[in-house]
Amino acid sequence: MAVLTASSGTDSSPARATGRPGALRRSVQRNLAAHGFLIGAVLCFACFSWYPMVREVIMSFQKVRAGRTTWVGLHNLNQVANDPSFWQAWRNTAEFTGMALLLGFGLPFVLAVVMNELRHTRGYLRILVYLPVMLPPVSSLVLFKDLYNPDSGLLNRLLHLAHLPTSGWLQSPNLALLSVVIASTWMNMGSATLIYLAALQNIPGELYEAAELDGAGLLQRIWHVTIPQTRLILSLMLMLQIVATMQVFVEPFVLTNGGQGVNGSTATVVYLIYQYAFNFSNYGAACALGLLLLLVLAGFSVIYVRLNRRAEA
Amino acid sequence: MSATRTLINPAQLNRTVYRTVLILVVAAFTLVFLGPLYLLVTDGLKGTTEAIQTPPTFYPHHVQLSNYSQAWDRLSISQLLLNTLWYAFGALAFQLVFDIGAAYSLSKLRPVLGNAILGLMLATLMIPAMVLVVPQYLTVLDLPLLHLNLLNSPWAIWLPSVANAFNIYLLKRFFDSVPQELLDSAAIDGAGPLRTLLSIVLPMSRPIIGVVSIFALVNVWKDFLWPLLAEPDPTKQTLNAGIYSLSLGVPQNILIAAAAISAVPTVLFFLFFQRNIMSGLTAGSLKG
Amino acid sequence: MRRSAALLITATALSLTAACSSSASPGGSATGGADNGKVTISIDCAPPSSRPTQVQQWNDDIAAFEKLHPNITVKSIDTFPCETPELFTAALRGGTEANVFYTYFTDRQQVLDAGQAADITSYVTADTLPVKDDILSSVWAPLQAGGKTYGIPRENYTMGMIINRKLFQQAGLNPDQPPQTWADVETDAKKIAALGNGVAGYGDYSAGNNGGWHFTAEMYAQGGKMVSDDGKKAAFNNAQGLAVLQNLQKLRYTDNVMGSTQLYKWGDLQKQMAAGKLGMYIAAPDDITYMVQSLGAKYADYGMGPMPGDSGPGVGTLGGGDDYMFNVKDTPAQIKAGIQLVSYLWLTEGQGQQFNYSRSKAAGQAVGIPEPQLFQGSTAAKDTQLKTANATMSVAAFTPYVGANVPGVTEPANAQAIYKILDNAMASVLTDPHADAQKLLTTAETQVNQVLANA
Repeated sequence: MAVLTASSGTDSSPARATGRPGALRRSVQRNLAAHGFLIGAVLCFACFSWYPMVREVIMSFQKVRAGRTTWVGLHNLNQVANDPSFWQAWRNTAEFTGMALLLGFGLPFVLAVVMNELRHTRGYLRILVYLPVMLPPVSSLVLFKDLYNPDSGLLNRLLHLAHLPTSGWLQSPNLALLSVVIASTWMNMGSATLIYLAALQNIPGELYEAAELDGAGLLQRIWHVTIPQTRLILSLMLMLQIVATMQVFVEPFVLTNGGQGVNGSTATVVYLIYQYAFNFSNYGAACALGLLLLLVLAGFSVIYVRLNRRAEA
Repeated sequence: MSATRTLINPAQLNRTVYRTVLILVVAAFTLVFLGPLYLLVTDGLKGTTEAIQTPPTFYPHHVQLSNYSQAWDRLSISQLLLNTLWYAFGALAFQLVFDIGAAYSLSKLRPVLGNAILGLMLATLMIPAMVLVVPQYLTVLDLPLLHLNLLNSPWAIWLPSVANAFNIYLLKRFFDSVPQELLDSAAIDGAGPLRTLLSIVLPMSRPIIGVVSIFALVNVWKDFLWPLLAEPDPTKQTLNAGIYSLSLGVPQNILIAAAAISAVPTVLFFLFFQRNIMSGLTAGSLKG
Repeated sequence: MRRSAALLITATALSLTAACSSSASPGGSATGGADNGKVTISIDCAPPSSRPTQVQQWNDDIAAFEKLHPNITVKSIDTFPCETPELFTAALRGGTEANVFYTYFTDRQQVLDAGQAADITSYVTADTLPVKDDILSSVWAPLQAGGKTYGIPRENYTMGMIINRKLFQQAGLNPDQPPQTWADVETDAKKIAALGNGVAGYGDYSAGNNGGWHFTAEMYAQGGKMVSDDGKKAAFNNAQGLAVLQNLQKLRYTDNVMGSTQLYKWGDLQKQMAAGKLGMYIAAPDDITYMVQSLGAKYADYGMGPMPGDSGPGVGTLGGGDDYMFNVKDTPAQIKAGIQLVSYLWLTEGQGQQFNYSRSKAAGQAVGIPEPQLFQGSTAAKDTQLKTANATMSVAAFTPYVGANVPGVTEPANAQAIYKILDNAMASVLTDPHADAQKLLTTAETQVNQVLANA
């Protein structure tokens, strides 16, 4: 290290100006600097992401019996694929992701567009939208569990007073997943809304004026000005949302007392992974299922990158 | 602020329509976002029986303030809160230093193998956190090469938080849009990469740093399974994990009171700093 | 240019070194060897700070033990609950359990698979564990495998019916006569639910793998079993299994005495019961202690009847318990000290955490609950005598439970995987008025067979 620091004094020496050896040195220097800036993050990735990831893949082909680790080939994959709730979990995950995208991705954008049009109370609305993000999620979920309670919950009470049909919410096989999505959206959409709002405020007004002169209506202006102008942040948030919702766990886990719901109506792939890892003490199977989920998510991101590239081209 | 033109031309806007929409939106927002919070505060004031009564009461008929002091004592919320803030801001600091450094290097310094490293980083976005949790736990127990045990120390939360590919991607995308000519002219003036970063790139990147900071804080604040495993000592837990593991040990009304208390400091924090947060978000352009 | 690179590398290296040097020492590794006869042992499941009285009693006991054994230093680790599945699994994978660590009887296979339990057979002697021969062989059984002993028991229980005596009285029922059969449960539950005010007569679990757990208990009461003797096939799709589901279906929908909220798991019914909103539910006796210590309930309000059966108390009931095991990395001295500690804290009449009845009485804690059921012979006799002398509660409230003496049956192998599947059957009969109990059983049977075939 001392050598490196000391030699840096030669930076402005005439050697810079010489031909090929100088270019090589510059390239070495540039790379050293660049890797210096990278090293912190790379070490953290190596320790806490890449190395565990490799171990995860290895473990999905292993089993531990009596303290001894043995290779079992595809046994773990075979076991999870034959789990009675395997397909249901994938179906639920897909359904949950779909609903969460409609609500959790679409709604904040709509809210941000509306908020951006209002000239009053914007600060108040911003605070309201962001408040739930500030609550510890477990607190919010405890609250929603109470709210959804078919007997002592306020939701059914209000519906009842308004002479509207009540529901079992989390314990109704048809509404359980939606109930979880609603709670999760309430808890999480503040960040997205504020980020969209910030992006919207940076759209130059002249673009709208020009569009208006071209005779564009309200929806056309949204389609041709608002969305293209916020495309980068929209597409980033979309990818983040898909990856995050496919891994949803805490929400159904707390809301339905373990995550399964009635007839497995809220059981997701991650819930199955959790059961294998922590309740069935079958870590190999958990890793194997995790590997499958990883492949699916990777598939999504390849599609995403392709689409993005085409859109940019 | 109201001078900027938005989607709808204010001159063409019918005042009555605008007023009606405004009132409706404010009413709906208040109901949807404050309604559950009202319940949070008032349920925490109800007696043990009233809190789980059928049908529920709309306001506490017998106010029981002692719930709040009991919740404070029995769940040692002050400790959990301090822990969480310590972890969250520490993680933020590490992420800002290391992730900005990495993104800057990948975007502007372009080292050998830079693209491969970026690809490997982005690949981690696809790993389900649930399965990574146990290999990660094993790593934290015995850090490769160094053979250190980080369990029950804040490093077990800070260092893994740096491995956040999404932040690096966001930052790199933003740095990419900083014109190369600016950097070149700085280099001609004799500025090294660190000075260029500090005096040219960072000042231009305030908005994205705002976004990344929010993500960094919120991630630690909301994480559940990892802090539960990494900080098993009850005096070192985060608020989220602590409330979950103690939720069995207290009656429902005390639990709700604890949830309400835990919300207060952060809500205050946001109220105080919301202007800074928002201006951080809006200070520059985020368009594609 | 290079200066900044060097700076950054230095900064990174520095911060990583700092990270390393300030890191905590491992939770409970076998660091305390037997140098100079000194032994340090760590033990988990110490009471949490939210229970100050218990913490005080624990600290007193540890101090007394250390005085008795000056060469032993005890490091207590407070955890609540004593076992969290996530932490337990992670600790087993990482080998970070305490020297003396808490497990349920049903964890044996998992601990052995992980290779984390020390074989303590040769250390269990009349010297380290004086009551060794008075511990029931049924209690030792789940702690042994292949002729070797791996754990020292702490508690043992069988499930019965906890009743809310106050609600029984209000409903005009005799609280000293808890139900004996499911028909009795129905009659009593109807009267209790008739009190109104959102009071439920009977409650049961249907989530978090707890539904399947109670299905198993109720199946044992019908005289049935969960899996065939070779453990390869489901054995609950029969008249007995059908009776379990139909009893619940009747209580939930025909009689409407269970409230509409379901998907309960452990912890939920206790909150209802402690708040006076529930008449009966199936549990082990120490649920009452939990309700009093954590949820502010009063001992006098509760009593227990036997696990109800078809035409009298159940044929069997679910039995279980917990114990301490010893980290495989423990030194012989640590194992020996650990057994002495568990013996002192949990298995000596007149002292420690559960048999110091006079101290419990003075602290206003309950004495008289029929748990743990660990002993036979002279220790059992002494226990009864001491307990009766210090009883703070009406022992009569538990006579129906103790008198029926329903034998405890242990959980099946692969219990959690089976429970998870039966959660569905339980949740369906409790939330769907049109649920077809027979169909649910058939589906569950197919699924359990599938899981067992792939295990």
